[in-house]
Amino acid sequence: MKYILLMSGTKAGVDTYRAWSKKDIDGHMAVLASLNRELTESGEFVVTQGLAGPHEAKLVRGLADGMPVTDGIFPESKEFLLGYWIIDVATPERACEIAARISTAPGPGGIPTNMPIEVRQFAIHVPQS
Amino acid sequence: MKYILMMHGKKADWDEYTRWSKEDLQRNVDYMRSFSKELNDGGVFVDTKGLALPHEAKIVRAGQNGEPVTDGVFPESKEFLAGYWVIDVETPEQAYKIAARASAAPGPGGKPANMPIEVRQVLGTHSDLGF
Repeated sequence: MKYILLMSGTKAGVDTYRAWSKKDIDGHMAVLASLNRELTESGEFVVTQGLAGPHEAKLVRGLADGMPVTDGIFPESKEFLLGYWIIDVATPERACEIAARISTAPGPGGIPTNMPIEVRQFAIHVPQS
Repeated sequence: MKYILMMHGKKADWDEYTRWSKEDLQRNVDYMRSFSKELNDGGVFVDTKGLALPHEAKIVRAGQNGEPVTDGVFPESKEFLAGYWVIDVETPEQAYKIAARASAAPGPGGKPANMPIEVRQVLGTHSDLGF
């Protein structure tokens, strides 16, 4: 079963992250890269992507004539998607285990960030046309 | 440049969506299918996915020994990811135009749902971000 693990944060949270020392960032990335390798070897890895910062995020709606109307103003409380992993695992428990591993990736001073990771399954049933 | 176009909704929005008539749902799904096909034919399609209901969503953190601690309680205001498209386009404006098309997908009675679509650039794997 495929799951998507979502890492989200507010603009303030991202600003804090960007202020980490290079050593802290490298330590964090090294743990995530090693997790990606491990998941690749176990055959559970599908894809991982990181998104550009929330400062560049846009909200788009379509006008009646199909023209896009863009808006870049969001409430400060908005949680922006920062990155995600898609994994293919045998059980929901395994998905949660992997999410916990991401949550233990180190932050400043090597202390685990304990970041919350949202675990979601993909929709299975789509009405057929 | 790769972009992700995201649809979000609160639990209440999802509940409303599940009450749409079969005809309204079918019209919406048909639009989305033909939209994805067009993106594919236009050479900009990378991926699209729909997510399961937010009622099954879990938040996971690691406990003291690294064991997963799961929580399924969310504020009512939380916006859950409902689905997304990843596209590969030349300019941000092209991404916005495509997002507007997704926003125009028909809702109840065939009227455009005018759903807000969040547009974000995708940078690659987490380790490529180079912060």
